Amino acid sequence: MGDNLLSLILCTPLIGVLVLLFIPGTMKNAIRWWANISAVAGFLVSLPLIMNFDKSLDGYQFVERINWIPALGVQYLIGVDGISVLMVMLTTFMGMLAIFSSWDSINDKVKEYYAMFLLQQVGMIGVFISLDFMLFYVFWELVLVPMYFIIGVWGGPRKLYAAIKFFLYTLAGGVLMLLGIITLYLQHIAQTGVATFEITQLMNTQMPMWMEQLVFWSFFLGFAIKVPMFPFHTWLPDAHTEAPTAGSVILAAVLLKMGTYGFIRFSLPLLPNASADRTIVNVLVVLSLIGIIYGALVSLMQQDWKKLVAYSSVSHLGFCTLGIFALNEQGIAGSVIQQINHGISTGMLFLIVGVIYERRHTREIKEYGGLAHVMPNYAVVFAFAMLSSAGLPLLNGFIGEFTILQAAFQANMAWGAFAVTGVIFGAAYLLWLYQRTMLGEVTNEKNKGLKDLNWKEWVVFVPLMAWAIAIGVYPKPYFDILEKPVAAIVERVNGPKAPVNAAVIELKKTEAR
Amino acid sequence: MPTSFIPTAADLLRLSPDIVLTAGGALMMVIEPLTGAARKARMAAIAVLLIAAAMALSVMAYSDPGTSFSGMLVVDGFSTFFRILVYGCGLLTVLMSVDYFKRERGSESGEYYALIVFSLVGQSLMASANELVLLFIGLEISSIAGYIMAGYLRDDKRNNESALKYFLLGSFATAFMLYGVAWIYGLTGSTNLDTVRRAILGGAMEQSGQMLMIATALMFVGFAFKISAAPFHVWAPDVYQGAPAPVAAFLSAGAKAAAFAMLVRVAASAFFPLSAKWEMLLWATALATMIVGNFAALRQSNIKRMLAYSSVAHAGYILVAVTAHSEVGIAAVMFYLASYVLMTIGVFAVVTLVASKGERFVEIDDFSGLVQRQPMLAIALTIFLFSLIGIPLTGGFFAKFYVFKAALDSNLTWLTILGLLNSAAAAFYYLRVLVVMYMKPAAEGAGPVDPAGIGIKAAIVASAVGTLYLGVYPSAVLDFAGKAAQLVK
Amino acid sequence: MPPELTQLLPASVPLSWYLVLSAILFSLGIAGFLFRRNIITVFMSIELMLNAVNLTFVAFSYHLKQVDGHIFSFFVMVVAAAEAAVGLAIILTVFKNRATLEIDEVSSMKL
Repeated sequence: MGDNLLSLILCTPLIGVLVLLFIPGTMKNAIRWWANISAVAGFLVSLPLIMNFDKSLDGYQFVERINWIPALGVQYLIGVDGISVLMVMLTTFMGMLAIFSSWDSINDKVKEYYAMFLLQQVGMIGVFISLDFMLFYVFWELVLVPMYFIIGVWGGPRKLYAAIKFFLYTLAGGVLMLLGIITLYLQHIAQTGVATFEITQLMNTQMPMWMEQLVFWSFFLGFAIKVPMFPFHTWLPDAHTEAPTAGSVILAAVLLKMGTYGFIRFSLPLLPNASADRTIVNVLVVLSLIGIIYGALVSLMQQDWKKLVAYSSVSHLGFCTLGIFALNEQGIAGSVIQQINHGISTGMLFLIVGVIYERRHTREIKEYGGLAHVMPNYAVVFAFAMLSSAGLPLLNGFIGEFTILQAAFQANMAWGAFAVTGVIFGAAYLLWLYQRTMLGEVTNEKNKGLKDLNWKEWVVFVPLMAWAIAIGVYPKPYFDILEKPVAAIVERVNGPKAPVNAAVIELKKTEAR
Repeated sequence: MPTSFIPTAADLLRLSPDIVLTAGGALMMVIEPLTGAARKARMAAIAVLLIAAAMALSVMAYSDPGTSFSGMLVVDGFSTFFRILVYGCGLLTVLMSVDYFKRERGSESGEYYALIVFSLVGQSLMASANELVLLFIGLEISSIAGYIMAGYLRDDKRNNESALKYFLLGSFATAFMLYGVAWIYGLTGSTNLDTVRRAILGGAMEQSGQMLMIATALMFVGFAFKISAAPFHVWAPDVYQGAPAPVAAFLSAGAKAAAFAMLVRVAASAFFPLSAKWEMLLWATALATMIVGNFAALRQSNIKRMLAYSSVAHAGYILVAVTAHSEVGIAAVMFYLASYVLMTIGVFAVVTLVASKGERFVEIDDFSGLVQRQPMLAIALTIFLFSLIGIPLTGGFFAKFYVFKAALDSNLTWLTILGLLNSAAAAFYYLRVLVVMYMKPAAEGAGPVDPAGIGIKAAIVASAVGTLYLGVYPSAVLDFAGKAAQLVK
Repeated sequence: MPPELTQLLPASVPLSWYLVLSAILFSLGIAGFLFRRNIITVFMSIELMLNAVNLTFVAFSYHLKQVDGHIFSFFVMVVAAAEAAVGLAIILTVFKNRATLEIDEVSSMKL
């Protein structure tokens, strides 16, 4: 292990897929067992990563480097810093739970389903550990394919529309991002004569402001569509609504984070001048704020339970991008933590929708009501997820939102003020949803005989709840692991003159707790 | 001027692939009537052997590069690359044709393979000619064989029509090109590409610049027809739709690759001094070709016709690299064509199989539920379609990447942006095929696909492996293309 | 010819006259290709274009005092003959299958 730990993490799901191909399609339970074993193994091999990660070091750890395409300077170069470690852990953890949650719900083309899911894991892990821009792009685009099939083959009634829309939107963003990548790469060649996609080397590229802005906007389109930021969010509700439950979970918990991660890993460090440009920051922040408020308002209007959760994602991801473009340390650290929180809480919310959809095969909110009487455990779990998503103190959502709000107020009072309304609306749509579905009398006859959570569902929910509480009660390890990489990014964007006052940050962290 | 007209050994070696193919093709024509119906299958084997021999000889000839026959022919990295490419394309076409003609006519026909061999002679000459008249002769050898192949099933109405349209528009285009050649000859006193270039640099431009531009424009019209660039692409959909599927593969892959080889060599050698004036023309043609190809393909329901328009769009992407008129651009053209040939042959091979006898199932909807009917075939088609879209780990991705890198290197920012947007829009019509294949149940009456013969299986597997190879490990081909591109000038 | 008339005409026909003539022939060929509806006539228009090319080659060759152009025109003729052989065969099969030589009626494929 040791030296090749990251490759091992990357390859474990892939090995799972290869073995899966040799299991006959009719042996459904064998396939399920094997897929779950692979996913659990994927999580277990990623544990040494966080245990052996030294958060006191600058730069990247567990680096592996192999020349891939010497003619173009593309390398198989992988490594992690504090940010990527958290994202990798999120991916392996959520992937494991999502795969387990599909045990009963997927009965058709089981083998292909699990193969796609495991491939998806490979692509997402690859995105988070690539330190070569081209390698990153390869994984970035590859992730499209399994999700396209997951939505299109195992999705709901309008799955074809949703799958094609998802694919085309993200592909369009991807190819426009390629424009920026090539421009940056050529500029680097022009200046140094070295053809490389290595991020740390590309950082030395000097570009005239207009070119840096062009590259920024090109990256922006790629990342913003993935996040998705307003006004590029329209693919998301469709994709979420039509995807099977586990697909929605992974889409919300991990896939969208590729976009925000892209901003943090690429846009800010590679294009510090453009990222700090007032106009660009203002545009990005305004789009984030619109996303926060618009997402929340639209969620209030929804009649479809799953669509409501989908739109709430737009709102929550708005917080993440707001945090990033507050361009201070709390903002970025808060954003990463909020990304994890969103993965946990929204993942839970989608699973909750999935549980009830399994039983009733409808997602219309008005079909339900008073479920707390028939499914008390379910109602408790839902309450937990709702409160975590709404940002109740001592639960995970609070830490992220609070840190981001602090950062926003610090950067600009008005931003903070608008963002706060988003929090209020967020609480509103969630509470109202809870009231409409769980409280009151059981109005619909069909709901009377519903069974409460079974053990398989508990297995999925318990770890998520445990993690949510862990973050909410004791977030310090997360801030610690993020401190070095975030400080490096902020210093790069704002220049060394920016206040890097460790004491202040320490204080805020204590407050946040 | 050489003092002796007796060709030297080096001359002969450099022409040897063409000599072998011509002699072998003629021999096939002679023995074809003498072989019994049961033994006709051997003709395909002979063709395979001939093409393999030609490949080996062209590699041998490359060990001693240079011109031959007083500068008529040139063997360099560029011509060797394209020779191997068109031979490879011919080989795969032969492999996929065996079953096709057994299915469609009940028996095989020897002269069809001879025609492929002859066509390859022409394409190989197009790739290696250093002289405008030889270029014309190569083009005609390739095209005339192509006209016959497009209408090979004489009694099929679609075949007839395809052949007629290909023939009429093809000869029309050739006449344009030839008229341009005649004018170039008159203005520069030569048809040798190097001499023409020297004449243009040495004052022909000042004396008769306008006539020179008209002459090159006439030639460009001819080229544009052959590479199916808009607005001269109208023949392509009818011809590819009507021709037998293996022939459509051959025409849209090999013939197009050779035509691009010809265009690039002429543009990069003889007319390189004019490239600044050509740029606008190429720019507009590239853009128009991409847009016309992609947007027409969106509306097709017949898969062969859709692929025809998609091949028009791909010609547009390649033209983007030609517009860059740089060495990187030429290398990009070469790499793109290599992956394009593989994915096109592959996709047409799958279409050939699914179409069944009489090519009944050529609508996109006929592919519904293919993944249940023929999972391996569906997976192969998926690889080719992803490559056509340009998804990483397939050849199509690095091809597009390289093309747009070349374009940005030459400051063609807008063309690059529009090209990238086009390639994203193009994903839609390829996705439609994927959608029906994976996400719709098989239509009523769509039986199981005929079992594939060994030949077509080999063609599909070879194309798929090649496509993936170019996507995972493009270094070897990229390096070779990069080196070969420097030799053109 | 009376002596006055020979003085009026130049000693030999200038190059430009040939070129203009060939351009006219070529244009007639294009026009015929585009506007005629009978397949045979369309085909003959292409032949006309090729002959215009031949005329250009020969005229330039004479002007440049080279033999190359003459040789090229032979190549063109040979190729044109091969093309005619194939082309007429194709036209024949079309006629056998459809019993028409009107080009507009040969359109079973949608545009």
